[in-house]
Amino acid sequence: MDIAWLLLLLPLVATVAILLRFHRDPLNAIIASVGSASLCFIITLLVVFDWVPQPATWNWISFPASGSIPGLTIEVGMIFDPLAKGMLLIVTGVGLLIHIYSIGYMKADPSCGRFFGGLSIFMFSMTGIVISTNLIEMFFFWEGVGLSSYLLIGFWYTRDSAAIAANKAFVCNRLADFGFMLGILLFWKMMGTVSVLPEKLAQCYHQNALPAMHSILGNQAGLHTLFAHEGGHSPVFLTLMVLGLFAGCMGKSAMFPFHVWLPDAMEGPTPVSALIHAATMVAAGVYMLCRVYPLLALSNLGLEFIAFIGCLTAVGAALIAVQQNDIKRILAYSTLSQLGYMVMAVGCGGPAAAMFHLTTHAFYKALLFLAAGSVIHALHEEQDIWKMGGLFKKIPLTAWTFGIGLLALIGCPLLSGFYSKDLILAFAFHTHPLFYWVGSFTAFLTAFYMTRLYVIAFFGPARTPAAEHPHESPSVMTVPLVILATFSVIAGWSIWGYGIKDYYHTWAVNGQDIPLPELPGFYGFVPLVLVVSGVLAAYYLYCDRSTDPLDIRILAQKFYIDDFYDRSLVGGQQHAVNLLSWLDNWVLDGFIIRGAAYVTVGIGEILRLFQTGNLQTYAFLFSLGGAVVIYFALFAH
Amino acid sequence: MEITLNHYLAVAAVFFVIGLMGVIMRRNLLIIYMSLEMMLQAANLTFVAFSRFYSYPESPSRPYFNHIDGQVFVFFVITVAAAEVAVGLALIVALYRLKETTQVQNLTTLKF
Amino acid sequence: MPSPLLVLLLVPLAAIIAIIAGAPAKRTAGIAALLNLVLSLGLLYNYPAAQGGYCYIMDCPWVTLSGVPPIRFHLGVDGISLPLVFLTAIVTFAAIAISPNNIRRSAEYYCYLLLMSLGAMGAFVSLDIFFFFIFHEFALIPTFLLIGIWGTQNRQFASFQVTIYLMAGSLILLAGLIALIMALPAPNRTFDITALQSYIGRHPNVISHQAQDVIFPIVLVGFGILVGLFPFHSWAPPGYASAPPAAAMLHAGVLKKFALYGLIRIGIPMLHDGFTDWLPVILTLLAGNFLYAGFITIAQKELPTMIGFSSIMHMGYLFLGIACWNTIGISGAVLLMVAHGLSAALLFGLSGEITHRAGENRFTELGGLAQRAPLLAVFFSFASMASMGVPGLANFAGELMIFFASFAAVLPFLGPLFTAFAVYGTVITAIFQLRAIKTIFYGPMPARYEPRPAAVLANTRETVPASAGMTDTATLPEYTPYVLLILASLAIGFMPFLLLHIIQPSVSLLPFIPPLR
Repeated sequence: MDIAWLLLLLPLVATVAILLRFHRDPLNAIIASVGSASLCFIITLLVVFDWVPQPATWNWISFPASGSIPGLTIEVGMIFDPLAKGMLLIVTGVGLLIHIYSIGYMKADPSCGRFFGGLSIFMFSMTGIVISTNLIEMFFFWEGVGLSSYLLIGFWYTRDSAAIAANKAFVCNRLADFGFMLGILLFWKMMGTVSVLPEKLAQCYHQNALPAMHSILGNQAGLHTLFAHEGGHSPVFLTLMVLGLFAGCMGKSAMFPFHVWLPDAMEGPTPVSALIHAATMVAAGVYMLCRVYPLLALSNLGLEFIAFIGCLTAVGAALIAVQQNDIKRILAYSTLSQLGYMVMAVGCGGPAAAMFHLTTHAFYKALLFLAAGSVIHALHEEQDIWKMGGLFKKIPLTAWTFGIGLLALIGCPLLSGFYSKDLILAFAFHTHPLFYWVGSFTAFLTAFYMTRLYVIAFFGPARTPAAEHPHESPSVMTVPLVILATFSVIAGWSIWGYGIKDYYHTWAVNGQDIPLPELPGFYGFVPLVLVVSGVLAAYYLYCDRSTDPLDIRILAQKFYIDDFYDRSLVGGQQHAVNLLSWLDNWVLDGFIIRGAAYVTVGIGEILRLFQTGNLQTYAFLFSLGGAVVIYFALFAH
Repeated sequence: MEITLNHYLAVAAVFFVIGLMGVIMRRNLLIIYMSLEMMLQAANLTFVAFSRFYSYPESPSRPYFNHIDGQVFVFFVITVAAAEVAVGLALIVALYRLKETTQVQNLTTLKF
Repeated sequence: MPSPLLVLLLVPLAAIIAIIAGAPAKRTAGIAALLNLVLSLGLLYNYPAAQGGYCYIMDCPWVTLSGVPPIRFHLGVDGISLPLVFLTAIVTFAAIAISPNNIRRSAEYYCYLLLMSLGAMGAFVSLDIFFFFIFHEFALIPTFLLIGIWGTQNRQFASFQVTIYLMAGSLILLAGLIALIMALPAPNRTFDITALQSYIGRHPNVISHQAQDVIFPIVLVGFGILVGLFPFHSWAPPGYASAPPAAAMLHAGVLKKFALYGLIRIGIPMLHDGFTDWLPVILTLLAGNFLYAGFITIAQKELPTMIGFSSIMHMGYLFLGIACWNTIGISGAVLLMVAHGLSAALLFGLSGEITHRAGENRFTELGGLAQRAPLLAVFFSFASMASMGVPGLANFAGELMIFFASFAAVLPFLGPLFTAFAVYGTVITAIFQLRAIKTIFYGPMPARYEPRPAAVLANTRETVPASAGMTDTATLPEYTPYVLLILASLAIGFMPFLLLHIIQPSVSLLPFIPPLR
């Protein structure tokens, strides 16, 4: 038994213990959950410094190839390459901090034990995704995080809105996983494996890479390459596979058009929003894309689609965030927007940039959410920013850390977001200028809506009585804030300087690193200028306001996408199923099946008229029948 | 004139048809019952006749070692008929007590 | 030579006799079921998995008539039937354990439950087509009585509809089986499944192609009715909705698997050409199960009917796995049969529990029960997650293997298409199962489920008696059966190889399985 398996076992044991024993016992639940999280973090450190070896794999399901069917071997194992190590650090590190923060945040809730049980099952599943060596293992944990997300969004299940949001999240993810599963199946059918080990993927890449890949934006190859390619598979199927795998990411990372669940998921407790719906789980989609990047690289069309969707989500979510009033929803749309950046980076051929941004984003977005949680806590569950105001003086530590997170998010130079966003824009610039310009515009919007949030909530006069006497959170909540703030400051240049090379080697499928792009002088300054102008514009527009001077209905109504889904998909489905049910009940069962029964009964009704009840009639008919039988048996030939 | 199997069968057929006619035409349950017995006797006669005129094909040298299955069946029929009479007469008596009639045209409750 | 399988059949029989003789009904039945469960676990553990052949064999002549193949009392199990024997044992135990102590005519009730279990068990361990068929018929009669006597709602109608429909299916099946045997050359006619299998394996073309094309649809319709294949499904939802929970658990969880088992054992291997020709039709009907039945499930307004429809829908996966006719697909189907048996038993049992405790099964009237019945909520969530194919519970492993098998195996292009339907079925399942959880357990709770003291109404001076409110499955005897089923599902879900290493070798011995490459 390898010690590395403890990474999975500890949270699982904590979950089981809480489920069985501690669900009514907050103290022990906290000890179990936080204890397992801290041990996992320690083991992760050992893994990162290579003191714990990669454990041996074992067969979960194994079928040899037979007939025309490829073999199906699912080996459960762990992968400790730089990509996984980096992600493990984020998951267990940020996870541990949020566990600690939750002690303070949730201690008053009577169902606190259930909350920590949910966190532990989440840690189990999320760690599983990171260390998965094949797509089925990943899918196993993938659904696991979906489940824990469902449980935690619906944590306050007596509220209808929370229950509905939990359902919405699960169903959206299921719908996307439908595509993911088909992508996995296509991958297996073509490559004969479900493994995502780098050497296996490199092999797949070399067997199938086209000399000149077709593309809608760049170099056009002849149509003949679409279907015929010696040795490899048809680009059509490769593209379908890429789209299928990306569908999984679209659900988990809430890309357009599956994004609707993430803002609603803010119904969950704030630590959950920080851990699951900002720092780690929603990033799992991006992580998965980076993990299978050599496969994505087989289809230029697929990559362009990914970049396009990422770009659309980035700018769309940022636009919506400009007109939102709920502090957590603004942050949720901001998360969507940043996830769009990451996905766009993958689509632009820069998985390293995506992982870099994922890392920095995990720190500052977790920080922002936790700080927002601290604000909400201080104001007794008030989430509307227009009911806050003047908090800067009253809860300074929260305000300062929130400010640091904000600066990191909008890409203030020297803070972490600056480096990663710059790198993404550089990749975008070298793919197509469109992505670069939209990305820069998104940076402007980000600066605008974050400054708006900060100015309204923290400056100006207090707008409600609750906002006049907030209380600073206890140190069990503020210490994680400070630690996260530290990392939000230093993560950028430290990874830039020391870690990024490791990320690069992961995708060196051709034996050589992808060249690191740079923005040419002028273009390097554009985003910075836009950010500064965004901050200034928001400051002058919102300073000392008590109502919103901007009123853009379409943004406040989220482009009417939710309404559209409610009416067309949900409503349409309801009508369709009612019609089908009616058909089944009345036509199939009523008319055909019971019809057959009624016809039988009717025939009986007619035939019973022959039953006179007179014994001798029967005897006569009987002997007549006998005579006929004898006649046919003897004389009729 | 040699009495052959056909003669026996003809007598049995006449018996059977007389019995059948009695069952179909007579109205009194007791008479019907007697006619029924007559049909059974016709069947018995057939059994015995076949038994008498057929021997095992493998033993032609012993013509009187006949196929005795038919005679065995006759005993069965007589036994069963006796049992039937016991039950049947009891039923008729019970029926008479209930309906005060033994005419079948008055006993037509067993219909829809 | 006696076999331990005979004990599996004698134990319930002995319990029935004991109950008739006056032993306490529930306790006797429970002990018998527990004995069988332990025994079946022992059989699973002792089965020599590597060879994959039949084991625990017992074979003695039963009836020999001239002109008819001899009927033999031939028992034996292999890796395909053994998991189903285990399933029968565990579901029987759960069904008996969840039944109320104070049910009216309790001796009869438990006898019928044991008879159902005996019939299902007998069908799975028989290696003679005659006994295979008769044991199943044997189990249908107590089903009819259980629905008719202890059912709810429209129980008379439902019990007649279920019984007549299923009997009609059995009759068609019987016709098909007789036609199948008569189509063999006279000296080789036999009811013995092992003999048939090896004979067909040696002479694959012994039944002419045209004859197979005629006989296979008869067998398919027969088995299809028994399993609720679209469009022969309409007996199931009203039947299950009116049946007492224990009967629904046994029928939907166990007895229905008889038809699928029969297809694996007899239907497809004996008539493989006919099967291949009819495959597109089978697939189309399957899509009916996934999509048509799935959508109808969403429209249901009562919990038991919804679960009845969902169990119809999930038959589609099993059929699809079998229709692949390769090692992955059939192994997946057998695994999923066990998994579905567990989850269906859980769902029907819990549905009965909810209906009983809340006095209500319409979605519009239920709500917020998690506050008063948290354990019930946890169990129901587990059952729903299992039904939805959430990883970690047994259904996922089975469904996954079936997806893989059908994607690669069934006819070019049709395979991926129908796999896509099947995968979409998991989305549909999620929609209705989650909605059920939400409407039953989440949200605000109606006040009538709160405990309240006795009170006197102010205006009418009527006394309202005290009420304990909604109760939970809080005591050990109440929750043990559910915990047992969930644990079994979890064990298989996390470690499918526990069963797969038994199933896989036996499946690869079936005729017409694609050979290893």
